[in-house]
Amino acid sequence: MAATASVTTVTGEHTGPPVIATAGLTKHYGTVHALTDLTVDVGAGVTGLVGANGAGKSTLIKILLGLLEPTAGHATVLGHDIDHGGQEIRRVVGYMPEHDCLPPDVSASDFVVHMARMSGLGASAARERSADVLRHVGLDEERYRPMGGYSTGMKQRAKLAQALAHDPQLVFLDEPTNGLDPAARTDMLRLVQRIGSDFGIAVLVTSHLLGELEQVSDHVIVLDGGHLLRSSATGDFLQRTGSLLVEVVGTETERDLLGEALARRGLTCRPRGAMVAIDPPPPELAAEGVAHDLIRDVAAELGLGLMRLQPDRRHLEDVFLEGGARA
Amino acid sequence: MPEAPRSGVIHDLGYRRYDGPRDGTATIARTLFVTGLRHAYGLGRSGRSKVMPFLLLGMSLLPAAVVVGFVVLTGLRSLPVSYAAYTNQTQLLVSLFAASQAPVLFSRDLRHRSIVLYLARPLPATVFALVRWASLAVAMWLFTALPTVLLYLGAMLAGLDKSDQTTDALKALVLQAGLAALIAGVTGLISSVSLRRGFAVVGSVMALIVLSGVVTAVQNIASAEGEDPASVGVGLVSPWSLHNGLANAWGAGLDTPAPVDGAWVPAYVLVALLLIGGCLLGLVARFRKVGTR
Repeated sequence: MAATASVTTVTGEHTGPPVIATAGLTKHYGTVHALTDLTVDVGAGVTGLVGANGAGKSTLIKILLGLLEPTAGHATVLGHDIDHGGQEIRRVVGYMPEHDCLPPDVSASDFVVHMARMSGLGASAARERSADVLRHVGLDEERYRPMGGYSTGMKQRAKLAQALAHDPQLVFLDEPTNGLDPAARTDMLRLVQRIGSDFGIAVLVTSHLLGELEQVSDHVIVLDGGHLLRSSATGDFLQRTGSLLVEVVGTETERDLLGEALARRGLTCRPRGAMVAIDPPPPELAAEGVAHDLIRDVAAELGLGLMRLQPDRRHLEDVFLEGGARA
Repeated sequence: MPEAPRSGVIHDLGYRRYDGPRDGTATIARTLFVTGLRHAYGLGRSGRSKVMPFLLLGMSLLPAAVVVGFVVLTGLRSLPVSYAAYTNQTQLLVSLFAASQAPVLFSRDLRHRSIVLYLARPLPATVFALVRWASLAVAMWLFTALPTVLLYLGAMLAGLDKSDQTTDALKALVLQAGLAALIAGVTGLISSVSLRRGFAVVGSVMALIVLSGVVTAVQNIASAEGEDPASVGVGLVSPWSLHNGLANAWGAGLDTPAPVDGAWVPAYVLVALLLIGGCLLGLVARFRKVGTR
């Protein structure tokens, strides 16, 4: 795996020092290799850490927090070395764990205040900050109720609030959308994005759902079985493939009508859901805009209402599957 | 009607950064200590959690109040019970307090996994474990010291010899500090391992109340059989018999089945210190381990 492990990229456009830098980070539990020779830099903004369960995401976060000693390699977080600066790191970093970690008999309000104090804020500052972050994460009146009665969505919000209570420079969010319904998932992702952009806090967010991170991350790191599969800006993952997607008003009949007409004009088409997917056009139609014009004209000739005409971007899944196949 | 000036405008201030002072490790540890101490008495927790500690405290103060009233009214020339003996006689209440409150400080964070949130903050696991122990130890010490202080005030009110009473009371307070350190270590360790509150309470009751009962029985049998060394030696096994033995050796007014003297005294001190040290090592190891999971 030396080939994949040696991939080194700095994520983030910011020119400052990387928020996280690891070099040859390795963690073995006996024969289990949780992380192998991970060398990666993480910049500001939102960085997604993708991988299946057991890919080493949580292990990486534990090591970066200074809670777990790596078998080999080293890392710095916000300029502090993980070997000696664990305490300094934990002072300026927030952590939202994956699993449940809230005492059921305490209110979110009391709990977040206490956690802010445990991060070193004074009593009044802690109260003020926790009221602030609870508002930001969207816990209103329910913040005064014991957390045992919370829904999963409210618990996730409370967990996020405690991670932000002390205004960290970096937060580790481990599977923040776990167990949420689609609406709550969207809310949470929007919040994660805001933390990275509006709040100005660097975010390392993990998920095993690639589509989620595609939406909110500036950069994506893909881990597979403890190895670095890829690390680059989200845009690079979603590079254009040259293919086009077309959708017209109507049912499958209209879709097929358009597809067949386009095929007769020299484009390779295949149905994809309600849309027609068009492979990269042949050389005679490859010039800028030629294929687009042709599609427009064909649709007009057939009297079909053109609803959508867009480049077909690759998805993170594709990258992951490619990498997985390679590994 | 003239237009009223707008008064209630809500401004969304957006996210505000915090650039105020941040406490150092020592201050955070002190905050954790005070919170733990309060929680041991149910303060800052639900109303129901205050019932048990204060009920037990009330029960352990009641006999002292009766003694004080008796001494003051009848003009007795000495307290009917010594300070150290009083602690021993309320042994059951003290043990129950420890057994019921140790899980509050040592099981909750582990059972609900909120320990992870603590360990992701500046305090290292070692400091966390020691601070928790200190909270429980001081809570225990206050529990035993309050009746002592009440008895002492009563003795002063009744005009008993000030210097004698002060010496005895101080001895009792020192012995109670050692006892609190021991009991907090033992019950803390049990609670941090058995996360179910029920198991933790039963385990602590076994280690304190049942063990103490067995030891006392064996000590009495041994001394009745004329085997004083055996009687004293068995006393090394339980926190309560260690406390009582040392109180006896120090002349704090407490009788043991056989007198603790000679080389037994340093042995008692040594075993007590080793037991405290062992419990602390166990607690530290336990909390360091959970941090890595």
